[in-house]
Amino acid sequence: MNQPIPAMGAMYQRRRNRALFDGSVVMVLAILSNFPVLYALNFPGQGLLPWISLALPAISVVFFIVALKRAFGQPEMYRGKILGSILGVLSVLLFAGSILLFQHLKDLPKSAAAPQVGQKAPDFTLNDTGGKPVSLSQLLATPIDTTSGKAPKAVLLVFYRGYW
Amino acid sequence: MDTPEVSSNLCSKSGYTFPFLSDPKAEVIRRYDLLHVGGGPEKTDISRPAEFLVDATGTVRWVNFTEDIRLRAKSDDMLAAAKAIPQIQN
Repeated sequence: MNQPIPAMGAMYQRRRNRALFDGSVVMVLAILSNFPVLYALNFPGQGLLPWISLALPAISVVFFIVALKRAFGQPEMYRGKILGSILGVLSVLLFAGSILLFQHLKDLPKSAAAPQVGQKAPDFTLNDTGGKPVSLSQLLATPIDTTSGKAPKAVLLVFYRGYW
Repeated sequence: MDTPEVSSNLCSKSGYTFPFLSDPKAEVIRRYDLLHVGGGPEKTDISRPAEFLVDATGTVRWVNFTEDIRLRAKSDDMLAAAKAIPQIQN
């Protein structure tokens, strides 16, 4: 019959605001998803990476909205008014930055006049690293495999941004 | 766009042994309509990333124009495209 009376502190102890933790984890993942090493690796679904880098900050914003609703709407139950506000602002900034980066990295020329499949690749001559002029027609006619002496089946032209 | 010296540096660092050509005046980049105006550091003009597989007759058999500068052609795709080209007897 001797019911223990809960201590006042325990009675009013507020719950952890779980959405704060989840939002923070998603925000860290969002930042990590931009690491260049992910683009250097070779794995299926890599083409989705830019979209993932855009979606994760948006998800973290949603978590912080939930966290702040709890912290301000039920302050007797949830903590995290200050921390939630700081992280919430950071997540919005990260999302805004991610949108700008996403657009910037896709901002490429149309290249409408570039050679398409079935068209002739315009011949050209450029210097190699030793300063020796090399032409596309020459590359197509020069055997790579010296034992067979056969001209290559094809030449792969890779245009890149300079050093990367 | 890099000069042969810069490319030479890259080749020796990365161990590339294939022919590595320089287009410092972007002549071929322009002819292939790949010039990315202001796309480089300090708004310099550079080439957009693009890959072409050209067969022995000089005809383009496969192309890749990325939509995101970080995403480049996959080696598996390029190999598959090359294998799909029949060997011309010569």
